[in-house]
Amino acid sequence: MGERKTVDARGAYCPGPLMELIATLKLVDIGDEIEVLSSDKGSAADIPAWVEKVKHELVSIDELDKHWSIVVRKAK
Amino acid sequence: MSSPPLFLVLCSGEHEKLQMAGMMASVAAVSERPVQVFVSMNAIYAFRRDAAADDRYKGGAFSDLMKEKNAPDAVELFHQGKMLGDMKMHPCSMALDITEWSEDDLVEDLFDEPLGLTKFLADAEEGQIVVL
Repeated sequence: MGERKTVDARGAYCPGPLMELIATLKLVDIGDEIEVLSSDKGSAADIPAWVEKVKHELVSIDELDKHWSIVVRKAK
Repeated sequence: MSSPPLFLVLCSGEHEKLQMAGMMASVAAVSERPVQVFVSMNAIYAFRRDAAADDRYKGGAFSDLMKEKNAPDAVELFHQGKMLGDMKMHPCSMALDITEWSEDDLVEDLFDEPLGLTKFLADAEEGQIVVL
């Protein structure tokens, strides 16, 4: 079971949350999970599309109070 | 299958165009799509090393909004694309000649070697060119 880190990108505009996710992904091990908190509506669609394109794993996506929680597992 | 490279030509000093270029370049680069950016004409002024933050971009209403709302900085987006993905940035050698700038006049740690248009176009035969 990998570790989980949280990236709080609330308040950042596109493509800020995605870039913060990617910068953090480079620092963690395969199998680790990163939860991105984003208030940018586009991230809810953009981050899953990016994850599919580059073949990581989308663990969950939840709309919370005025922001989204998107959890990604590093797969490679 | 790898994605075809994206070739961006930046001509304008308008904030909106530079912002869109920075977004396209950085997102493509981190999405396993190689990117080459060729910076010429008025766009070169946005990359001047000693430009004041308020003076770096020329813009209208949307530019004012992006500054007010703290949108990501356009030059910083190019830095992120270069740091996190497969991206090259080339100043146009003609633009450097006309401005009488050297590579030391450009923002640090962003640019690769100056390139002529002919070489850039030759490289760009393998992908799509977007001019902004």
